[in-house]
This record gives sequence, structure tokens and C-alpha cells, in this order.
Amino acid sequence: MKAGMSLDDPSSKRQAYRLKKQENREELKHVRIDPTATSEKVDLPRKRFYRQRAHSNPFSDHQLEYPVSPDDMDWQKLYPHFFDVGTNRMSKQVTIADIGCGFGGLLIDLSPEFPENLILGMEIRVQVTNYVEDRIIALRSNNAAINGYQNINVLRGNSMKFLPNFFHKAQLEKMFFCFPDPHFKQRKHKARIITNTLLSEYAYVLKEGGVVYTITDVLDLHEWMVKHLEEHPLFDRLSKDWEQSDKCVQIMTHATEEGKKVERKKGDKYVACFVRLPNPPIV
Amino acid sequence: MLHPIQSTVMSRDGSVVFCIIKNMIQVFQWDSTKSEFLAIGQWHDDQDKTSTIQKTVLEEQKRQRAENEAKRRKLDKEEAVPAETDKSSSKLKDAKVPIPGTGAPPVYNHIRNLALSRNENLLFACADSDKALVIFELDYKKENCLVLKKRQPLPKRPNALTSTTDDKHVLVADKFGDVYAVDAHSSEVVNATNGGLEPILGHVSLLTAVAIISDADGKQLLVTADRDEHIRITHYPQTYIVDKWLFGSKQFISTLCVPEWGTNLLFSAGGDTFVSAWNWQTGELIDKLDIGELVEPYLGEAQLAPSKFQDESNSVVEYAVSKLVTFSTLTFVAFFVEQTKALFICKVDPLVGNLTLVQTIEMSLNIVSLSSALSADTLMVTLDHSEAEDGQLVSYVTWDGSEFSVDGKRNISFHNYIIDNLVDNPIANTEADDIYPLYNVGSLRKRAEN
Repeated sequence: MKAGMSLDDPSSKRQAYRLKKQENREELKHVRIDPTATSEKVDLPRKRFYRQRAHSNPFSDHQLEYPVSPDDMDWQKLYPHFFDVGTNRMSKQVTIADIGCGFGGLLIDLSPEFPENLILGMEIRVQVTNYVEDRIIALRSNNAAINGYQNINVLRGNSMKFLPNFFHKAQLEKMFFCFPDPHFKQRKHKARIITNTLLSEYAYVLKEGGVVYTITDVLDLHEWMVKHLEEHPLFDRLSKDWEQSDKCVQIMTHATEEGKKVERKKGDKYVACFVRLPNPPIV
Repeated sequence: MLHPIQSTVMSRDGSVVFCIIKNMIQVFQWDSTKSEFLAIGQWHDDQDKTSTIQKTVLEEQKRQRAENEAKRRKLDKEEAVPAETDKSSSKLKDAKVPIPGTGAPPVYNHIRNLALSRNENLLFACADSDKALVIFELDYKKENCLVLKKRQPLPKRPNALTSTTDDKHVLVADKFGDVYAVDAHSSEVVNATNGGLEPILGHVSLLTAVAIISDADGKQLLVTADRDEHIRITHYPQTYIVDKWLFGSKQFISTLCVPEWGTNLLFSAGGDTFVSAWNWQTGELIDKLDIGELVEPYLGEAQLAPSKFQDESNSVVEYAVSKLVTFSTLTFVAFFVEQTKALFICKVDPLVGNLTLVQTIEMSLNIVSLSSALSADTLMVTLDHSEAEDGQLVSYVTWDGSEFSVDGKRNISFHNYIIDNLVDNPIANTEADDIYPLYNVGSLRKRAEN
């Protein structure tokens, strides 16, 4: 291991940074920020302290927190601003999900565009999730006057296994799959986030007319995703014209960290969007 | 000594019993008028594993070579580099087939699971050796009633199986989380690896149980249970439409039971400290039978958590329900906890669905498996007699109209006949340290990493 890489080394700068941020996170994660209180500006987290290898095995038994069922999910903790104290219930439910949200660029750009929607990012890597949490805490504090960024949050989870634990049938309007792990090796194709079997689960949580957004810089993966979505009876591809007029496609193409990276390297970006069709009559 | 019987399946009337002993199926018929058993069929899995491994290795090599070749061609084209002559490819050797070293764990060619078709004309088996579904036609006029019809290899290890209501397809759930539909009647074997077999549904988790149910209109639904607490209900054959999940389990599921009586009822159990009764139509968890107190007297060292997950006072106890069965009209369910001696029988109110323990039957030895003769109101447990010389092999438990009791006469008859019949069978006889692992359910418990 390289010098300075050790996580257990108490003198490491990264370790100290992570500890400090963790305390901060635990204190501020679930609180409703008071817009009238004038507090000092919270620094945005620095990405270099949250590095983690880019892959995570979706088949292994991680220590994950997930509700026993969607009814058991405590959304108040993630979106305190949308909790109605009068009725003791959430005034809105999550309708947009970013699966594998990475460092959260898409969430942050979607937030002001969809102020009436709750948007959830799901990410399997611990440190990356911590980064997004810290980023959202900072953004919420710094935009407290306008109640900014109250409609986005992130969860550490394995959506390939536990998506139905979070969302009811037909709850979602949009699902984003941005720059997913390409899993190049043929024998690892089941680890890809779009497979014909998983698409049935995505179709379950999406409402009729809901949209699946995909973008990748890997042509092979793009073709794979298009093939599987086209083969699935509950999805239909949306036209290029539709893509060009949809603001989410614009944001997805330019907002995410991966998207910017590809732009810097002048790489290609492949977009494909699919609409959730109604269920055919049951035979 | 005779190897313990790992698992059994009985015909609905209880007259025929199919037993798994190691990698062998033995079939016995019970003649109730003479109170005698008769051996009527046998089959053993003699598939040579090395040939199938070799085939996969070579296929993979071929695929990789083709892929590399394609890549090279593409590069050559783009960069207009003159193509190398084929001197390199002529040197290529066939890939070696890996041979396990001396320290490698022993390989057991389990027959993991058996199921009868609904009309009881076919027997289905999951064979470990080449990860195949094996289909037999049952012809009781022949000397050996098991007529091998087809051996269909699957991409991953099959674990649980059932058949559709019309018996046209066998639905096989594997350890990788996928379910395949295999034609039960054609003897044609399809290529498992090259897209010949596509999963009809998939979980990202090991599948442990599968069942078919029909709704009021006779439309079929497929129930699949996994190691991640999920019970999923999917339309069949439109398996791309998920109907719902049954939420409420806190641990892995190991067994599902769908009674023919009681509308919309389904029972499940596994690593949880309770047995669940569900209404699959509404998705409601109707009743949870807490089994902690019931099993407590029967727990022992086998239920202590492994040292790595144990606490200082050595008090972490872990147990799991291995199997849950019922009858065709009798509104009872029976279950047992892995590596214990107790068989629990519960009465169910078929209208409400709640479970009430009515009987506990303690066996002389640990229970290995449990099966039910649906319309004969008879249960059969097989026992782990490896620790007791001349110990009992099986125990029949029958309903006499008011309660369940051990059918001692049939047990002795079975015991004596089996011992006589298999005494010279080289597969059935074994040394004590050569016994197949009999307890495979507890290891499904999740040990989270990070």
C-alpha cells in the first residue's frame, strides 16, 4: 500500500478529514435547516479525500441498511423539509431515482429543475456516498435562505438487490443509469445494471409512461443496454427528437462527473431513453 | 454403513417413495396390504465431470480466441498495419483443464432436489455434477421404473424446481438467481451456454425455493424465494411482469409451501425465528408463528454460531427452518429446524390463515429431510443415523383422524427392506467420514462484509 493510503493511520490527513466530516455528517444529516439562522458558509467536500476504487461487487453481502418494505422506509430523515408535521406524513414521495449516482452531479443539477419532485441517488460505494451526503449538507446550508437542495438526497445501497424494498409499484417517473460500470468481461455481464431480468424489476417500480435514461461512453455497453431494453416487452425506445427536446437528456449529458470527464477527453457519449409501456392483458 | 438418505419425495398416495442417497436415486413401492416394500427403480449419476469441464474450458478458449482475432483484425484495418501471418495461431495449444490439488475440498456430486410432475408421470432431479436438470419418465411396468428422458445442462447450479400446472415445462431456479423453463416432454437438449437457454426471470441472489400458484381465473403465478429475504411473485408465462413482493422476512428464505386448501395462502420459513403465513393475493403477512420457545429445548452445539461470529460468552445461537410441508386437504403444516430432532405440526385455520402448534414429535436422531404424501396424510422424515450404529433410517408419521403418530410398523418394514436391498450396493454404503454434507441450510445466513 502506498504511503498515506492507510485508513487506520491516525496521523493520515485523509483519515483526519474523514473523521471530521463524519462527525459533521452525523450531526447535520437529518436536521431541518432553519432558513432564518445566519450561519457561516459550509465548505464543499473535497473529492480527493473520498477516493475509492471504481468497482463494487453487486453480488456480495455488504453491510447495507434497507427497509423491510417500502412502507417501513423513513423518508423524513432524507427529506426533512417535505415532512408535514401537521399530518405526520411526507408531503411528497420520491419519483426520480439516479441509480449509481456516483459523485452526485446529476442530482445537484436536477434539483432546481424539478423543485416539486423528490430525487434519490443510490450508490453502492461507501466513500462516494459519504461525499454526496457531505456535498448535499453543504449545499443545503449554503442555500438555506431559498430552501435549496431540499429535494435531493443519497442512499448507500445495492439497487440490483434491494430496489423493491424502497419503492412501491409504479412509484417512479424517471430512472437514470448514467455511465454504469461496463463490466467488460463476458462472464461478468450479469453484474451489469441493465439485464433482461433486472429490467422487469425496474418496470415494476416505474409508472406507465415513466422513462429510463441511459448514457455511457462505452459503445459496447450502449449496444448491450439498447438491445436488452428493446427486447423487453415493457419498454419502447424514445426518438432522437424526443431526446433533443428533453431537458433531462441535456442535463445528463453535461452534468455528471463522468460526463465532464468524457468531455475533457473528447470521448463519445451514447444516449438511449425508453418509455415504460402499459402492462399487456395477463394471459 | 448405509449412507443417510438425504431427501425423499413421495407420490400423492404415499405408495411410491423416491430417495436420494449420495448421487443415486432409489425408488421403493409400499404394498399396504402386505405391509411390504419393494425396490422398483434406481439410477445413479455417473456423469464424468472432467469431460464437461473440458468442454467448457475449450469453448471459452475458442470464444476468447475469436474475440482476440476480431480485435486484431479491427486494429489492423484501422491502422493499416500489415497483418501478421498465422504463425502465432498454429502454435496455440489447447487450454489445460484444471485439476484440483491434494488440499482441495472434496467434491460431492449431490442430487440436490427431486420433484414429481403434477400428474406424477415424470420425475425431475437437479444433478450437481454437470449442473443439469434430469428428467425421467416413470414406467412402473418396467423392471427399473426410472426411464431417463433427458439431461439438460444449465449455466449455473440448479437448486430448486417445480412444474407448470399443465406439466409442459419444468421451472428450475439456480444458485445464481435465475429461473429457466425447460420443456418437460421433448427429449431435445438445448445448448446451455450459447444463448439457447435464456432465464425467464432473475434475482441478484441465490434462489432457494420456487412454486407455482394459480389465481381464481386459473392464471399462473411463479413464486421465487431467495437468500436476501425476498419472496417475489411474477406472472407466468409473462414473467417480465412482476406482481409483487411479499415483505416481512428478516432473514433468508429456505422453504415455501403453497397449500391446495385455503384460498391465497402461502407459508414460508428459513433463517427467521418465525414461520410466516401470507395472503399472496393481498401481499399481507397474516401470521407469524414464533418458534423460538418451541425449538429451544431441542437446540444444541450444532446451533451455536461459528467462532468467528460468536460472542465472548459463547451464547450466539443460530437456527433455521429447513423444510415446510402440508397435505392436499388436511389443514396442517409440518416443519423442522435443521440439525434437531423435533418435528413440529401446526393446525391452520384455512379461512384466516393463522398457525397454531398442535403437536411436537421427537425423533430418535436429527432430522435430515421431510416430505409429505399429499393425499395420504402421511409425512416421512429421514434421519441422520451416522452417529448411531443401527440407528433408524426414516420415520413415517401418519394422521389417524385425530392426531399424528409414528407408524412404527412401516418404519421397521422400510428399515429392514432397505438394509437388505442395499447391503451390497457400493454407492449406498460408505465410511462415516465419507458422508455427504447433510445440512446445507444454515450456511445460507448472510455474513456482511462492509
